Amino acid sequence: MNRSLVILLGALVLCAALFGSSYAVSRRVCERCMSKSVSDLDWLQQEFHLSAAEMARIQKLHEGYLPKCAEMCAKIAAKKSELETALNGSTNVNPAAQQKLTELAALRAQCQAQMLQHFTEVSRTMPPEQGRRYLAEMQRLTLGLHEQTESSMSGSMDHEHPH
Amino acid sequence: MNKENINPNEARLGALLRESRVSPALPPRFQEGVWRRIEEAAAPVKAVGGITWLDALAALVLRPRLALATAAVLIVAGALLGVRNGNQMAHQDAQARYLAVVAPNSLR
Repeated sequence: MNRSLVILLGALVLCAALFGSSYAVSRRVCERCMSKSVSDLDWLQQEFHLSAAEMARIQKLHEGYLPKCAEMCAKIAAKKSELETALNGSTNVNPAAQQKLTELAALRAQCQAQMLQHFTEVSRTMPPEQGRRYLAEMQRLTLGLHEQTESSMSGSMDHEHPH
Repeated sequence: MNKENINPNEARLGALLRESRVSPALPPRFQEGVWRRIEEAAAPVKAVGGITWLDALAALVLRPRLALATAAVLIVAGALLGVRNGNQMAHQDAQARYLAVVAPNSLR
């Protein structure tokens, strides 16, 4: 093989290795440093540039919301368990299972309403523009997934039943 | 053979023979073409195709200053890109952590 070609290929490999290793090391170090001191609310401060006073108010709201959220989650988990029991061994959706499904949906709706209420309260503690952005972002992140699922399902229904 | 030893009769005969030989007319710019060929033949032999180009590039790559500068640029560029991506990843992780706390998966 030509000596010059070997030198050039070697230089290219060395360049790629230098760039790749530098990228990997700095990325890992950065991730490690950033994730060391984060609390659950750090994202809010980073994303919406909130002051310490605003963060303190949000922290208070957050601490008030968490027990309510945990309580609703426990209720939903219990209702799901009841639904599984009602469905156990059944080959179709019996009236009892139907009732549990309705109750589960109602609980989820109640929980979602509570969650949206919390988002609204948090958005009010922020400067108006940031509050609007926060609310829109949280609605997109929490309710948007349903829209995606529904639209993908309706797409697949169209595909299966083109008439 | 020495010129002085040449018989005058033979010299005259040679001159007559040269005069009798019909020489064709030279093509236009014949002399210029001859000189060009001589110059080309005297010039050093060039390497074939891309070998010269590769050699020049390899010589450039082997220059210590250039090699060091390139290495420094690559390291700095890699580090900057790594920090940027690391920040993005950490930001996404923080967002996911917040969401997991305020909006459990069963509601999303």
